[in-house]
Amino acid sequence: MSAPLDRDSAPWWDAVRRHELLIQRCAGCGLLRFPARVVCGRCRSCAADWVPACGTGRVVSWIVNHQPFLPGMSADAPFAVLFVRLDDGADEGADIHMYGNLVDAALSEIVAEMPVEAVFVDVDDNLTLVQWRPKG
Amino acid sequence: MAAATFRDKAAIAGVGYTRFSRDSGVSTLTLAVETILAALDDAGLRVDDVDALATHRVGDSTPPWVVAPALGVPEVRWYLDQFGGGSVSHSVVGQAAMAVAAGVAETVVCYRAINARSEFRMGGTGGGKSTARAPAPTFDVQYQAPYGYVAPAQQFAMAARAHMIRYGTTHEQFGHVAVAQRDHAMRNERALKRAPITLDDYLASRWIAEPFRLLDCCLETDGGCAVVVTSADRARDLLRPPVLISGAVWGGGDSFFSGGGPGPAGGTDLTVSEAARIAPRLYAMAGVGPADVDVAEIYDCFTYSVIVQLEDYGFCEKGQGGPYVESGATRLGGPLPVNTHGGFLSEGYVHGINHIAEAVSQLRGTAGERQVPGAAVALSTAQPGYVLAGTSALILRAAQ
Repeated sequence: MSAPLDRDSAPWWDAVRRHELLIQRCAGCGLLRFPARVVCGRCRSCAADWVPACGTGRVVSWIVNHQPFLPGMSADAPFAVLFVRLDDGADEGADIHMYGNLVDAALSEIVAEMPVEAVFVDVDDNLTLVQWRPKG
Repeated sequence: MAAATFRDKAAIAGVGYTRFSRDSGVSTLTLAVETILAALDDAGLRVDDVDALATHRVGDSTPPWVVAPALGVPEVRWYLDQFGGGSVSHSVVGQAAMAVAAGVAETVVCYRAINARSEFRMGGTGGGKSTARAPAPTFDVQYQAPYGYVAPAQQFAMAARAHMIRYGTTHEQFGHVAVAQRDHAMRNERALKRAPITLDDYLASRWIAEPFRLLDCCLETDGGCAVVVTSADRARDLLRPPVLISGAVWGGGDSFFSGGGPGPAGGTDLTVSEAARIAPRLYAMAGVGPADVDVAEIYDCFTYSVIVQLEDYGFCEKGQGGPYVESGATRLGGPLPVNTHGGFLSEGYVHGINHIAEAVSQLRGTAGERQVPGAAVALSTAQPGYVLAGTSALILRAAQ
């Protein structure tokens, strides 16, 4: 499945295509946020820029999917979907989370709070995804 | 802020169902008409008495502005065509009560009519006769769908796992939810699943999305259900004992991507549902507390949904939802019977309104073999906000 885009998110997807992981930063109060939003929910500034994420985080939760919810999904099953809390902004309460699949590891290796790092996977000519692998 | 804004101003005067099945063979308009006529008949009212219709949908049903002219409603004075799934299910009845309390409408029929198995499977999952699926409710889907993360079962499984990690909730405790509700469904002629199950049956059922097995998941159902909302005064003159709408609240709005906002947990926390945010407002409006609730019909799209809401509506300490269901507390005969009809797991899935209808039966004292003796106050709740941010809930009370 290709990623649908909204205009606010285009810079993020463009960066992922270049193998860069970005997070939005409020120009008013500095709060990091993800996904893209036009306004800061804390200080309500509409000014923001994009800054590099450190690309590491921890597994907060995960599922191992078996059910082929969509056509073609059964070929990949079972597969994990990770819910990752990024290390970025953790001290300031930014609490940034991203989803992704597990790569370069067995499903049985997943444990809570496992350190992971982002990996860029070029799916096809139009889509690059951020995935996660155990951080050594 | 005034809490008791429209407490007990409106009442549920009628309840109607269609047959529940896996393939209705008819349109959602047919289901809507059938269930609306059944609810009016139950109340002792006619179509000519109706001046408002209310529903919610995600592109999967027939709207009021088609149903009303089809039925020949003389004049629609108010209607609600709410976008949304289970999270808004109880807000539909709440808003109907508000419209009645405001004098905007006198007789509102709230309905939900879906072919959720044969035509439109939630999340567009697994095929079916139609491949129709809901439009993405938010742009955030683009950050999930490419990873094969598309279905409510997965989203709730993610939260369930977080709860297991934080509080030590077990697979067996999820299983107790399924087993208890099947036991209740055995006493409900309408229920689609009435064969008894054991904890071993639960543990032997196949994985859907770990930590969820098949028996953690609700049924996908074709069916319709409707309730008639009118003023409390008028309801007293109708056929059935009125069931007062004492509390009706909805709202929320947390993000499960990034915190820093005013979420119920002060940040992103999958183990706390939006129910935690609206519960104080709900109890304040109704003027009761958790200890006053005699029976609870809790949105059970998945077993975990029951456990987290038992905590967030204050029936046990945070994190103790698992041990609470394991103790048998939620079984008929226990201190808080939950999902006496069998819920979505065993009766059928009409997206929330069948929970409201069951609460009405309990408060009327007409629930037969599954009646909670002397039930006077009921809680009924919506999807607790894991899919679309926000939730809704009702506290209903038998009129004295």
